[in-house]
Amino acid sequence: MATNATRDPGMKAYVIVWLGLLVIVAVEVLLTYGHLPAGRLLASLLVLAFLEAALGIMYLMRLKYERSSLFWSLMPYLVFALFMMDHVWADAFRLMHQRLPGR
Amino acid sequence: MEPSPYGIQSKKLAIWLFIIADAATFGAMLFAYGYLRVANPDWTRPFAFWPSIANAIAMTVVLLVSALTMVAAVRTAQAGDTRSTLRWLGVTMLFGVVFAALHLWEWSGMIGEGWRLFQNPLGGSVLFGATFFSITGLSLLHVIAGIVALAVIALGYRRGRFDAAHIETTGLYWQFVNVVWMFVFPLAYLMNAR
Repeated sequence: MATNATRDPGMKAYVIVWLGLLVIVAVEVLLTYGHLPAGRLLASLLVLAFLEAALGIMYLMRLKYERSSLFWSLMPYLVFALFMMDHVWADAFRLMHQRLPGR
Repeated sequence: MEPSPYGIQSKKLAIWLFIIADAATFGAMLFAYGYLRVANPDWTRPFAFWPSIANAIAMTVVLLVSALTMVAAVRTAQAGDTRSTLRWLGVTMLFGVVFAALHLWEWSGMIGEGWRLFQNPLGGSVLFGATFFSITGLSLLHVIAGIVALAVIALGYRRGRFDAAHIETTGLYWQFVNVVWMFVFPLAYLMNAR
């Protein structure tokens, strides 16, 4: 059976990725208290979260060291599923403007 | 026998397929949270830096450390070093328990303040509690299941029933739990910071 032990990049690479993840977490916290508008904060946090997820999936989960066919069989489906969920936003904003006035 | 697809064992492909399905589940939960938040302008942002955000940061660091120790466990298992592997698995489980303890401590504090699934002591939308406890509860459930799985695999590995491939497969699940937290932390905690 195929293993990817010979394609292991070494512990140093994992530690560097891990330190990068810690830096991203620190940036997220700093941005939170940086008095950004809510929309910009959300966009920034989402970009950083996706970056963290990419590092985690490719390095910590070692998808980078598997055959590319595995990546292309898994990731496009997930991206498509998450993209399709974005259709809820039109309804969310519609509801936001249809709220009854408070008592 | 036919060569395995993608050049990996069946159990590894199976765990990847499970991970993708579970990622879609968490994605749906987070989208639902976003939808409800946008649709409810009276959303409460209750988390002060101390103790809530500080605790969430501690939880994030603990989980990230456990990700690194899990990588070490997989590598030592593939190198055939049983003792080191069991040690790294034990450390990973310990960090998982610390994460769960911090999480439950936070929950008990919030429940003590009056937060429930459909109760908001600050008077804003009650959906905050519903979404927060659902998302973090599902994440916590995954962490606890991961700790149990790691314990079972570690015991079997020590007895020679399981091999490095089992450690790697369980490690994939543990790393997935980490990846999920990378979204839960900013969206459920930082976006609700005061």
